[in-house]
Amino acid sequence: MADFRLRVTFNKSGRLGMLSHLELARALERAVRRADLPYAVTQGFSPHMKIAFGAALPVGVESICEIFDVSLTEYVPAQEALERLQRASAPDLMPRAARYLQTGEAAASVAFPISRYEVRLSVPANALRVPEQIVVVRKKKEKVLHPAEFIRSMRFGAEDGQGGECVLAFELEAKKTGSLRPDVLLDAMVKESGVQDARVLSIVRTEQRPLSATV
Amino acid sequence: MTDLWPRIEGLIREAGRGIERPARYINHEWGCTYKPEAAYRFCMTYPDTYELGQANQAVRILCNCVNAVEGMAAERAFLPAADMCDLMRECGIPAFSLESCAPVAEFDAVGITLPHELAATNVLEFLDLAGIPLHSSERDDAHPLIMAGGPCAFNAEPYAPFFDVIMLGEGEEALPELLQLHRSMKAAGASRADILHEMAKVPGTYVPSLYEEVSEEEAQRTGFWVRPVFDDIPQTIEKRIWEGFAESDAYEPTIVPFTEVVHDRLNVEILRGCTRGCRFCQAGMMYRPVRERSADNIVSAVCRGLAETGYDEVSLMSLSSTDHSQIEEILRRLNHALDGRGISVSIPSQRLDSFGVEMAELVAGGKRGGLTFAPEAGTQRLRDVINKNVTEDDLFGAIDAAFSAGWRRCKLYFMIGLPTETDDDIKGIASLAQRAYDRAKRAVPENQRGNVRMSVSCALFVPKAATPFQWDGQIAPEEAQRRIDLLRRSVKYKAVDVHWHEPDVSLVEAMMSRGGRAVARVVEEAWRGGARFDAWTEFFSLETWRRACEECGVSMEGVAQTQWDTSYAVPWAHLSAGVTRKFLERERKLAFKEKTTPDCTMGACSVCGICPTPYSGIQTQEVRHG
Repeated sequence: MADFRLRVTFNKSGRLGMLSHLELARALERAVRRADLPYAVTQGFSPHMKIAFGAALPVGVESICEIFDVSLTEYVPAQEALERLQRASAPDLMPRAARYLQTGEAAASVAFPISRYEVRLSVPANALRVPEQIVVVRKKKEKVLHPAEFIRSMRFGAEDGQGGECVLAFELEAKKTGSLRPDVLLDAMVKESGVQDARVLSIVRTEQRPLSATV
Repeated sequence: MTDLWPRIEGLIREAGRGIERPARYINHEWGCTYKPEAAYRFCMTYPDTYELGQANQAVRILCNCVNAVEGMAAERAFLPAADMCDLMRECGIPAFSLESCAPVAEFDAVGITLPHELAATNVLEFLDLAGIPLHSSERDDAHPLIMAGGPCAFNAEPYAPFFDVIMLGEGEEALPELLQLHRSMKAAGASRADILHEMAKVPGTYVPSLYEEVSEEEAQRTGFWVRPVFDDIPQTIEKRIWEGFAESDAYEPTIVPFTEVVHDRLNVEILRGCTRGCRFCQAGMMYRPVRERSADNIVSAVCRGLAETGYDEVSLMSLSSTDHSQIEEILRRLNHALDGRGISVSIPSQRLDSFGVEMAELVAGGKRGGLTFAPEAGTQRLRDVINKNVTEDDLFGAIDAAFSAGWRRCKLYFMIGLPTETDDDIKGIASLAQRAYDRAKRAVPENQRGNVRMSVSCALFVPKAATPFQWDGQIAPEEAQRRIDLLRRSVKYKAVDVHWHEPDVSLVEAMMSRGGRAVARVVEEAWRGGARFDAWTEFFSLETWRRACEECGVSMEGVAQTQWDTSYAVPWAHLSAGVTRKFLERERKLAFKEKTTPDCTMGACSVCGICPTPYSGIQTQEVRHG
């Protein structure tokens, strides 16, 4: 079946930052239908739209680089598809780019294991410390994660922040064995540093990229 | 209006994972209507959380109706979840509307739909959270008009002190009428008292503060528990019927929620009213006469609605959708129009006697989840008593059709505690369900028989106002439990599972359903004792309600279980669903004689009182066949 795979890059911002991944997926599917794009449907007893999503984003985390791949049965010029989608989208879930995938390009959920996040804090970023380990509860079992395994880089201090805000930027790698969530990491850092009244004001995923060719 | 969003957003962020499902509070859903310039503002409320109330038909319809009025805007409000309510109280943030995040208390009028008997304490929780005095008598010109409507309006007495105005019946015309009256009288400087008096004259409008309670003796002598304090307002309030329903556009602007809600699909109302005449059923009495929208109207509304919302599922809503005279045509045309798009068409309620092979094929739509049928009683005798005119052959025919067409799961609804019920009837449920299961298996290829599932779901009978069984008491919870246990022992097949409603909860429902104004005092006492979200199993506490009854000197069992003679004047005699008392009495007599009454859209008029002349109120598109 000659499906055309369209990759759409979109923002998750404002109030819709509070949506969970599932809620996001549902909303995007509906936007595709409202845009009247000729989406492909799976075969079988319970046909549904052929759409695949990128790496999940936790509740409360925004993004300027989220992606989904939707299979179309007909070729619609990417720019036109983008415009139709934009007209059918809520402002805080706005698509900003669309392109067709080449054959063999990696699927959305595995193509970009490295995510870069920018965080705005109520206290200077360099007041925070990264703990040795973080205990998370997964499926009612406690699991110990070592942040060092997941953190690819971290920069403290005002980088791209405006007006003297405290900005922290870091990159996390999703591993086959699991991931460290950015909000979980930040909560642990705040706790570890013992700074009073430290609050995370916002977390934004600013980039998703593949593993580098060289370390 | 004050914008509470910055404070609410702050609260949600601070609370982090301490607040469940923040998407309940964010609004900005696709399809919202914003009219910031409108001077008159109405807040339409469902007294439970967003995920339970967002798809509610009354909320959708009435917001659209009010937004259609020049200079008026309607916004939605829901009760925040318990964790959020508590946090809001701590931080001094009042109940807010969704669209503009404004305090509910700043609106000109607030409408609260009363969807079922367990929403009462939530109404008080909402008013309290909004900072609005609980009692109509305590409100002044600074407070919004507090209005109610919905199914429980037909016995509104347990809510009487809390509402300024209670609307009976359909609100499409009545609500804009009342709001426009409110707007013009307020502009002319009229007092709250004068406004309420004027509203009490509008057909279908009950202003409880203008009806005083009378003594028990007087009530039984005159036939009414309350008496109007003015001569120019009616003793009996008749429900409103929207004559324009059938001709009106089945397409309604629809909001698409972000977070998962119940009934999360495009809901299109295809028909209103059901005159099958099941004697326990309040909806059948409340919504008559039967009015159908046309197939053209419905098909076009579905296509337009799907295009505008992006939903992948549409449900053809009504009390009894398979009774629509054009249902097969509608389904055929929709299946054709939506072919290959992964969109499913569902029908919430199917009548056993109109579900045959054709229907099974048409409702398929690819997703064959579970089918639901409601035989309600286990023996033909008891089905005749309740006038549920379906036979075992109807059930087995429907099962044959459904399971041959690919279904594998079926849920059967029954009621326990119906008048004249005996243990034989209970065992009849088990026998029927098991034979239905056998039948289902035979209709399925041998290698798939292991997938066949049958489940039995039993509700406890709650006597309801404006039904032939309104004089009958509910059976005691212990007796209900005994019958449930008997049923469970009688069902031998492992593949047939049995579910039932908690008898304690049904006891409170029955008290709310049959109570007079004294029960309103119990409601308030229960709320003060901590009762809220009574429809949620994790919150319901019989203890709290019992204590409240003791405090108020009201006997829960007395209200719920007492058997009344049909000459007894009921607490809701002044509120009419349009069917006559004579009709209800006659139906009850027939019930006890095990005689049935046909559906007037397919047979003789049963002289219920709804139509001015026989059949004149009925609007069907084509001839209906039984």
